Amino acid sequence: MGLIDYADAYRMLQRYGIRSVESRYVPNAKEAVSFSKGKPIVLKAISQKALHKSRSGLVALNLSSDKEITQSYNQLTRKAQQFRPYKILAQRMVSRGTEIIIGGKIDSQFGKMILLGLGGIYVETFKDFALRLCPITKYDAESMLRQLKSSAIVAPDKQTASHITELLLKTSRMFMENEITELDLNPVLIHDGTYDAVDLRIIK
Amino acid sequence: MKKGNQKIKYADLRHIMSPKSVAIIGASENPDKIGHVILQNYVDSGFAGKIYPININTTGKILSFKAYKSVLELKGKVDLAVIAIPAQVVPQALDECGRAGVKGAVVVSGGFAEVGEVKLEEDLIRVANKYSMPVIGPNCLGVMDLRSRNDTLFLPTFKIDRPKIGGVSFASQSGAVGSTVLDLISNEGFGLARFISYGNASVVDEVDVLEYLAHDKETKVIVFYIEGVKRGKEFAETAKKTTKLKPVVIIKGGVTSAGSQAAHSHTAALAGSAEAYEAIFRQFGFAIATDIKDLLNFAKIFDTQPPATGNRIAIITNGGGTGVLATDAVCQNGLVVAKLSKESEQSLRKSMPPIVNIRMPLDMAGDADDKRFSTVLEVIENDPNIDAIIAVALFQTPGADSRVAATLIHYATHMSKPMVVISMGGSYTKMHKEMMESAGVPVYDSPGDAARSLAALINYSRYKKGI
Repeated sequence: MGLIDYADAYRMLQRYGIRSVESRYVPNAKEAVSFSKGKPIVLKAISQKALHKSRSGLVALNLSSDKEITQSYNQLTRKAQQFRPYKILAQRMVSRGTEIIIGGKIDSQFGKMILLGLGGIYVETFKDFALRLCPITKYDAESMLRQLKSSAIVAPDKQTASHITELLLKTSRMFMENEITELDLNPVLIHDGTYDAVDLRIIK
Repeated sequence: MKKGNQKIKYADLRHIMSPKSVAIIGASENPDKIGHVILQNYVDSGFAGKIYPININTTGKILSFKAYKSVLELKGKVDLAVIAIPAQVVPQALDECGRAGVKGAVVVSGGFAEVGEVKLEEDLIRVANKYSMPVIGPNCLGVMDLRSRNDTLFLPTFKIDRPKIGGVSFASQSGAVGSTVLDLISNEGFGLARFISYGNASVVDEVDVLEYLAHDKETKVIVFYIEGVKRGKEFAETAKKTTKLKPVVIIKGGVTSAGSQAAHSHTAALAGSAEAYEAIFRQFGFAIATDIKDLLNFAKIFDTQPPATGNRIAIITNGGGTGVLATDAVCQNGLVVAKLSKESEQSLRKSMPPIVNIRMPLDMAGDADDKRFSTVLEVIENDPNIDAIIAVALFQTPGADSRVAATLIHYATHMSKPMVVISMGGSYTKMHKEMMESAGVPVYDSPGDAARSLAALINYSRYKKGI
């Protein structure tokens, strides 16, 4: 059991056509600046020992100037000392959107199950989620979305709804075809008529 | 049930449910013994097949039946053995059943894995597998089949009512919930097809029971109380197949367990075992009841009403306030209040007195008699904007009498749309409620019960259409 490296997880999602924000490990502040190309980015310290990055202060959002990026990079590396070994990941900053969670776990009785819920910081507060046994059908995916109390917030229009059902079907396939015991895509940001997985946690 | 590694297609419970001959192992003259009560019940219920009391200490006769020391004396003659003897000697008695060619057994006796006697239960399973014999129990009430008057319950008939014959089958892991619900069903309008209390589920388990009831021709609706399942994956597969054939109403005991505390992900923290069960029920179209009352509420709508084409509900009433409460209940349960079509509106405007507002909820006023009910229901039956009907019939009103009940019976049993009735009140109402229920109309005491039950039916209809 162990967390799959972010870069490997990212590639796995790409293989299944699951959109996630462009990301790269950056060995130093200079590389982070060049990844940014003047556009806003996010820096995250990634460590097996820190499962809740934002809670541990290991995330710096919305950095665009060279100075901001360099300063935050140095701050992050200081904070991350207690979680060594770690790596710093640079990601494109996605503008605002609704945060959802797509997850997977193995139930001891029934097997692999997939979860859809209102995501980000709301997961544990509202516990608004739907769960199904994998592999799921299109009907299952649609009924998961319908089941959410927040379905009108999560999928305000048909296009978004079909993005989410597609995403659920792809995630179910990925979960079934790989040696995965748990996974969190949290949050997945719903924005501008599309979506992007912003944080990934896949456990072997 | 499993035989070695090889799975049996599904446990053949026919001989257990409707046997032509029964051996009661542990039958006794002593009224304090469970074996006595079981034998007495077979006599009282008028079982038409052969009855063979078995008692190792017998001197010849028990309750005027010829008694035997062992089932081995009856080789080839016995369909069902009901075993009510101390746990230690059950495996041996079961082995004798196997050698005598008994086709199935119910082990009523407790004292197995539920009290830590795991080895004893393993012995029982081994014997059952050796003879490929379906065994229900141990630690259970067993079965009741009203058509063949087969009744293994060790509860005297004066303590628990026996239901009438019908299409609802009820399976329960727990004997306590089993007997309580059975007693309650006896006082409902609908009847029972089969009852199975399967206790420790050591041989015949939840999957076998569900599969048997799914294929059973007498069973229209399955009602299930479970605390857990032994074969999760097979249960999910069987659930999926079963709900394609008939509705299943389920209640699960022990749903308040928390998610795993040591979880590595949000997902694992959110989705504990109780959530997994609920997800499986939902995914495969079970109607989930959260209390015993809803178990019965849901059973009666599934037993009598056709599937719904959608969730647009017409509410008609002879009492304004109750119509408003019904409207609230409809909205709270994910249903919508229907809008009358233009044609319906025009037709009702002509036929209703001026005091009636032609809109939903349709308040037909306190003087509404059977003719007014009938006129409205005729229009609603043919309105394409309406999928299902809630009729509030308050029998305290000046216009309502037995003719209103008869009208409601006519529509609720002839329409292609589902209909439920809400009637609340004292003895005059209760009389009409019984009249309607025994004719196949689901009648509810409260708008909440009615709307929840209708929502359960509509969800299942949508599930069947969607998959």
